[in-house]
Amino acid sequence: MKREHSHRETSAVKTGSSSMTANKEEAGGFDELLVVLGYKVRSSDMADVANKLEQLEMVLDDGISHLSDDTVHYNPSDLSGWVDTLLSDLNPTCDQVKPDQDSEYELSAIPGSAAYPRGKRTRTGSDSPTTTRSMVVLDSQETGVRLVHALLACAEAVQQNNLKLADVLVKHVGLLASSQAGAMRKVATYFAEGLARRIYRIYPRDDVGLSSFSDTLQIHFYESCPYLKFAHFTANQAILEAFATAEKVHVIDLGLNQGLQWPALIQALALRPGGPPDFRLTGIGSSLTGQSVQEVGWKLGQLANVVGVNFEFKSIVLNSLSDLKPEMLEIRTGSESVAVNSVFELHRLLAHPGSIDNILLTIKSIKPDIITVVEQEANHNGAVFLDRFTESLHYYSSLFDSLEGPPSQDRVMSELYLGRQILNLVACEGEDRVERHETLVQWRNRFSMGGFKPVNIGSYAYKQASMLLALYAGADGYKVEENEGCLLLGWQTRPLIATSAWRFNRVE
Amino acid sequence: MAAGNEVNLNECKRIVPLNTWVLISNFKLAYTLLRRPDGSFNRHLAEFLDRKVPPNSFPVDGVFSFDHVDTSTNLLTRIYLPAPLDPSRYGAVDLTKPLSTTEIVPVLVFFHGGSFTHSSANSAIYDTFCRRLVSICGVVVVSVDYRRSPEHRYPCAYDDGWSALKWVKSRIWLQSGKDSKVYVYLAGDSSGGNIAHNVAVRASKEGVKVLGNILLHPMFGGMERTLSEKRLDGKYFVTIQDRDWYWRAFLPLGEDRDHPACNPFGPRGQSLEGVNFPKSLVVVAGLDLVQDWQLAYVQGLQKTGHDVNLLYLKQATIGFYFLPNNDHFHCLMDELRRFVHSVEDDSLSKSSPILLTP
Repeated sequence: MKREHSHRETSAVKTGSSSMTANKEEAGGFDELLVVLGYKVRSSDMADVANKLEQLEMVLDDGISHLSDDTVHYNPSDLSGWVDTLLSDLNPTCDQVKPDQDSEYELSAIPGSAAYPRGKRTRTGSDSPTTTRSMVVLDSQETGVRLVHALLACAEAVQQNNLKLADVLVKHVGLLASSQAGAMRKVATYFAEGLARRIYRIYPRDDVGLSSFSDTLQIHFYESCPYLKFAHFTANQAILEAFATAEKVHVIDLGLNQGLQWPALIQALALRPGGPPDFRLTGIGSSLTGQSVQEVGWKLGQLANVVGVNFEFKSIVLNSLSDLKPEMLEIRTGSESVAVNSVFELHRLLAHPGSIDNILLTIKSIKPDIITVVEQEANHNGAVFLDRFTESLHYYSSLFDSLEGPPSQDRVMSELYLGRQILNLVACEGEDRVERHETLVQWRNRFSMGGFKPVNIGSYAYKQASMLLALYAGADGYKVEENEGCLLLGWQTRPLIATSAWRFNRVE
Repeated sequence: MAAGNEVNLNECKRIVPLNTWVLISNFKLAYTLLRRPDGSFNRHLAEFLDRKVPPNSFPVDGVFSFDHVDTSTNLLTRIYLPAPLDPSRYGAVDLTKPLSTTEIVPVLVFFHGGSFTHSSANSAIYDTFCRRLVSICGVVVVSVDYRRSPEHRYPCAYDDGWSALKWVKSRIWLQSGKDSKVYVYLAGDSSGGNIAHNVAVRASKEGVKVLGNILLHPMFGGMERTLSEKRLDGKYFVTIQDRDWYWRAFLPLGEDRDHPACNPFGPRGQSLEGVNFPKSLVVVAGLDLVQDWQLAYVQGLQKTGHDVNLLYLKQATIGFYFLPNNDHFHCLMDELRRFVHSVEDDSLSKSSPILLTP
């Protein structure tokens, strides 16, 4: 098959005068026009990708559709990689264990080899943390519009340190909020409280004194909406894939809390074809909250016992995650596969200069097979207060919208759980401001710069997560989205949390 | 048949730029994986593969966008607007003020393509296209996330189109001109074009004013196998077989392709005689196998005295407008701009001559 056409040649098809016709080749070598459409293909690879597509077309008749149900797809933005996977799937060299079709809603172990991207990996270059903020769209009701205007105006006054004006406005907000209903009212109330606290310098107490209450709130949040369930599910899926053939596995949970993530993993390991591995869990808790990490471990041990999984538990209690030293983890190099798991923990370290680097260094030094990270999908850590305020107003509006429904204790507690995040975001500063959320793009950048390689989460996990949502979420608006190997859960079109997976291997 | 395929693929690659070929071939391949012979559709994989983008409240390249969900219908629309001239007004839309009190700002209610089955309002290809429409043609775009087949068959997409039209018509902030009205055009590519037509028919019947229809290689068909279908089958990304699959997925079970949704001027079609139907711009790609049906549609409108402009792009394949790297794209944008900014000339009757491009 002749490859006749260079990039330049095909541009000559046009005869006209128009200005923006050239296929611009930008830094990074990716075809710029395709990047905008969500595909990263190097201009230098274009002909090769075309060739492979042609090869696939050769076998294109109805027979190919069987591929869709058996094949697991990864990172469709990497067209070259995707096409390579399809080509090799047409000539399978190894038996792929198919996911157990009967237990559709449970986790199943699938071969680890599929998770690691073959062929060219697109390098995540210097993605700048730009924000493409979504708009808060209000009802056309006038009060809704005025409420948001008042909130933003107040925040702007705070930004400019015009506290007298801010004081007047925050009272006005309170008045407007009281005539609103639903999610808008609740969100506005929290943001107004945050502003008031900032103005009057009555800062919210640390979580410290209310630790068990925090736990309670988190459990209610877990029950009332799918965000934590999604976080746990997708992270577990990535861990399972990484542990597919391991005999001994070690999970390090950077924030054990109530250990809600682990029963499902333990059960999935128990059901693994070929039998469960030995499972070791290291749970990290905060010394400031006085959680009984040991007790959580004990309960998990009981479960593991029931389902027949050899279980070992260790608890580590720290002031801060940045105090974590590799020796504390007692890695059994060479005999165990290691996973590091972080659900909504890492962003807190951004409050203290150097902390995030410490933990990443520690993680790197133990060379985990997989690192699973779940974070809020938003930039609430910008330098300018007003920007943070606006971003978080949009974010929590979507979040609260998704919670709307018949009243329940779970929901009320969840709103309180989120409300405390809002207060911290708006009212606190410096080391007290721990809700320093950053976007997937920002985290990707940080991990890439740190030398970590992405592990793609594929279509199997995507499908299972979607089905899980349908089961547990009830409401129609939750959407799972794939983004260059990561999965995001959002409300309507707004992604709200992101799961990514990484590795830092012994063999590079 | 390998030799035959080879000729087709080479010819096809000659016609379009390489990156366009890669893009559309990628869709072709992916879509083949998603369609099952039994008529069912792998929706999970489809959503996994679709590249989506968020809206942006801060303008990029002079355009900003936001999403709206109509709580009464659960219908999502993405609205694209030109950036405010004053940067201090970035990031906010005043829902109480019209677009302009002096000038007319056309609002395109846009229905994305995907053969009734694929894509969404937030698909990257359509988000990008809509943004280009705003910046190049000077319009506001409301892109409708209508329900898709096979999960939602006829008439769901049309109902959603109708809901969207009514919603748009009633927005203060989409009004313009000295008389404070919403100046609406219906637009769509492929299945979106079909939806636009059907919503326009309903609008005419129910007295809702639509200024014009823009149908970009609209999806029509019928039981007959036309010459263009036979001649171009499998040659330029599309096959008769896949067209049949999508009709079977969209039309009510047991129906055939002479159903009026598929074949509006066919044996079961309804004549638009005497109906106050908006003027139409129909764009036909010369390498689209559906063209005979599209040309029949144009003739059907002409026969009943309706105003229709045909833009026939001889060397264009389907999807030529996804990338601005060819003449057809620019030709389309020029025509579109002319079409939506000629409100003042409404009184002049015309069907402009057919426009051909090399």
